[in-house]
Amino acid sequence: MTQERTADRPRVDAYEKVLGRALYAADQPIAGLLHAMTVPATIAKGRIEAIDATAAQNVRGVVRIFTHEDFSQIKTTPAARGAYGQPGKGHQPMTSPVVRHRGEPVALVVADTLEAAIEGAEAVKVRYAPEPFSARMEDELASPEAQPDRQLSSGDAEAAFAAADHRIDVEYLHPQQHHNPIELISTTAAFEDGELRIYEGTQAASAFAGGLAGMMGLEPTRLRGVSPYTGGGFGQKNGIQEQSVLVASAAALLRRPVKLVMPRGQLFHTASYRPRSRHRVRLGADGQGRLLAGLYETVQQNSRYDGFACDHGANPPRMYGYHTWQGNDRIVRVDTQTPGHQRAPHEHPASYATECAMDELAEAVGMDPVELRLANDAQSDPITGKPYSSRHLAGCLRRGAEMFDWSRRIADPGALVADNGDLIGLGVACGSYKGSMTATVTTLRLFASGRCEIATSGHEMGQGIRSVIAAELIEILGVDPAKLDIHIGDTGHAPQHITAGSWGTGSVAPAARSAAMKLREELSVLTGAPLSEEPVHVQLARTRRPSLEVTVNTIPLGKDAQIIEQLRRGIPSTTGPEYPDFMAFSWIAHFAEVHVERSTARVRVKRVVSVADCGRVMNRRTAESQVRGGVVWGIGAALREAGETDPRFGGVLNNDLAEYVVPVNADIGAIDVDFIDQPDFKLNMSGVKGLGEVAMVGAAAAVVNAVYNATGRRIRHLPIRIEDLL
Amino acid sequence: MTDPQDTQFLPLTRRQVLEAGTVVSASGMISTATAQAQTQVTTSPSLPENGTTVHIACRVNGQPTAIDIDARASLLDMLRERLGLVGAKKGCDHGQCGACTVHIGGRRIASCLTLAAKVNGREVTTIEGIGSADGLHPMQQAFIDHDALQCGYCTPGQIMAAIACVKEGHASTPEDIREYMSGNICRCGAYVGIVAAIEQAAPQIERG
Repeated sequence: MTQERTADRPRVDAYEKVLGRALYAADQPIAGLLHAMTVPATIAKGRIEAIDATAAQNVRGVVRIFTHEDFSQIKTTPAARGAYGQPGKGHQPMTSPVVRHRGEPVALVVADTLEAAIEGAEAVKVRYAPEPFSARMEDELASPEAQPDRQLSSGDAEAAFAAADHRIDVEYLHPQQHHNPIELISTTAAFEDGELRIYEGTQAASAFAGGLAGMMGLEPTRLRGVSPYTGGGFGQKNGIQEQSVLVASAAALLRRPVKLVMPRGQLFHTASYRPRSRHRVRLGADGQGRLLAGLYETVQQNSRYDGFACDHGANPPRMYGYHTWQGNDRIVRVDTQTPGHQRAPHEHPASYATECAMDELAEAVGMDPVELRLANDAQSDPITGKPYSSRHLAGCLRRGAEMFDWSRRIADPGALVADNGDLIGLGVACGSYKGSMTATVTTLRLFASGRCEIATSGHEMGQGIRSVIAAELIEILGVDPAKLDIHIGDTGHAPQHITAGSWGTGSVAPAARSAAMKLREELSVLTGAPLSEEPVHVQLARTRRPSLEVTVNTIPLGKDAQIIEQLRRGIPSTTGPEYPDFMAFSWIAHFAEVHVERSTARVRVKRVVSVADCGRVMNRRTAESQVRGGVVWGIGAALREAGETDPRFGGVLNNDLAEYVVPVNADIGAIDVDFIDQPDFKLNMSGVKGLGEVAMVGAAAAVVNAVYNATGRRIRHLPIRIEDLL
Repeated sequence: MTDPQDTQFLPLTRRQVLEAGTVVSASGMISTATAQAQTQVTTSPSLPENGTTVHIACRVNGQPTAIDIDARASLLDMLRERLGLVGAKKGCDHGQCGACTVHIGGRRIASCLTLAAKVNGREVTTIEGIGSADGLHPMQQAFIDHDALQCGYCTPGQIMAAIACVKEGHASTPEDIREYMSGNICRCGAYVGIVAAIEQAAPQIERG
């Protein structure tokens, strides 16, 4: 069995995907489909005084134009966009004449064809009564929250900092970033089998069966959420969108199926994004580089109404053995759309700030940055005192340093030069992400024909969750992946929990594994003897049964059976990082080599080496891809991406993929990935901790530290662009 | 999260839902288009075209296709919304991401930036049209072998661009591949795999 553990298998849905046969939400063939288009608000704050839809109604093919007057009965519940589960929070556009951010939908035009819907939307005239606003945290009307959102402390960090031999006191700025999955967010609402079916490429199909029903005043059983494939999520698709209830309500009122594919320019204003943040980092160390004090204060820009947390301070104190720690996270409210979770939501900006500060400290102490980190390795959490379930960060650093040939690094900036004269810089940084899990209800059915079906909770957004489920079924049952049907992302098959926060694998791998083991047990009871080496379906056939079905509820560590009820009601519930007896994190070390062209200061990331401790690796091929993807995100964050807010109008100026620059193929060099691959059975029976998020944590800092090593320039904002280095 | 006090502002009954509309089976629309194409010219189903229409006759994946299409329609929207060929994807509608890449006369183009009316008399090839009867196109196989995809949404566009990249003679070095594949964004970041896949498939395509 062990040889299967890190099997290098094709991802199970690759075949459908390369054929173009994988049907995403907007690809569903639905007869009589109407097309919708939104009209975005052109003010950042105020009221709608009048909507003149006469010209739009006269556009041939326009069926109906909806405004807030049609949707005033939609309820803004804790499931609404921006509420993050908190009563009284959130904002659902088009339920009143109030406009709370630029670009929110103020009308929805439904037409026979997409072309007519677009022309109709452009013809809608809206008169507003605008109000003063501020869209950036440094502007006049921005409102800092009186109390910190979070604080953590251990010991007297101020005193320890004051007494330290070496002190670093620096501030880093992180820009606004937008997820930009290539799949546009689309919502299709159609009627089938007595239910209103909502197709959306979401990470949370349950939000439609539960949350949307509540907003619409419907019984949850009347709605079914279907997310067949998600064309990239990265956290942007982790709940109900501003558009979702509008399309569902339009379909319900028209008694016709309706599809809206939200244009990308509008998604920059309606969908979630990573908010801007400021990070003050103070590190104090003794002469040997021991971390006597860490002080970390952050400020994050939120909307007026959202329930999004500011949680930058959660991970940094867990990275190293800080003797004392003090941290707090604060929120400033402005008049924009609500931000939200974007891949490694707070862990990435926090790792950027603190891991760059570690680089500055290494220079101040006169230590190698890898050695500084190794000297401060820890096996227990400075905040709670609990041990880590597993921590191989030192192993990640040592193996990565060897693969990368870190020993060639010269501390003096600009000392390494390439044959063509480019300055070579080498940088290192580390990251962590909580080990988290959630509950599942899993049904596994084996047919005597060899076919195998599993229905469980999870969404496939490219992270390879189907391949993880397959890996456990192959290992325990020996099933043929070609004869395996995996039903996920559909509330019609199983209760769906939001898939995010790197808890997907830690939840579905134990689910698939325990279902497979239960099926083996029941088959053994049927056959009256221990199972042989023969294929399980052959042994089943011998019992003259056409199929055998088992259902298991998996309850993650530290939770009780009540979590299953929460799952069924669509209420998110997860574990970690703190468990009764330990703290659980995945860990990673990144090494980056940049080449900086001297005359233009153009930065190229030639090579990255990343070594991760994510517990057991379920599929070597998809796991490597996931880490490479996280590194690409880190490179994008370090050198490319920033959403630019226009303070005059409150919108995002660069709201398309030509102006919001993400990494393209030519930006990416070699990315070599390795894993510690030590299972963490303390956390779950599959021994997995999670990979998708930790893959990005620290990657940007490694690039920034490499840029310093090449140029001697400490750039304390992202992204680093040519003008910063010239 | 349902509030039992909520008023039933959309009081849907099961009967009303059943009356309201139907979803055709997953194979419905696609098989109509391609099954007809086996024997005759594919004509568009009786879809409502509201604007000024133009009549176009072209070949799509080798099949003669005739359609009266809204003059404003993009080739992408014609493929997806009228012909049921949903392999080409909409990622930006501005020619910035490459997810909609198809071939016209063997050249790669952004179908979202191409008016449908412009393909009159032309040969259009989409991801649905590149595999052979006995299996995958070498580029498709190479994408599987090198895990050159994650979410899969940009993949049809990447593969169409990759085939064209080879045929243009821009796949002889990794640097060339990176440069000439930079019009296709993969937000999942599968670029390393994409370059490796093209390096694997290029000699097979060149021989073919």
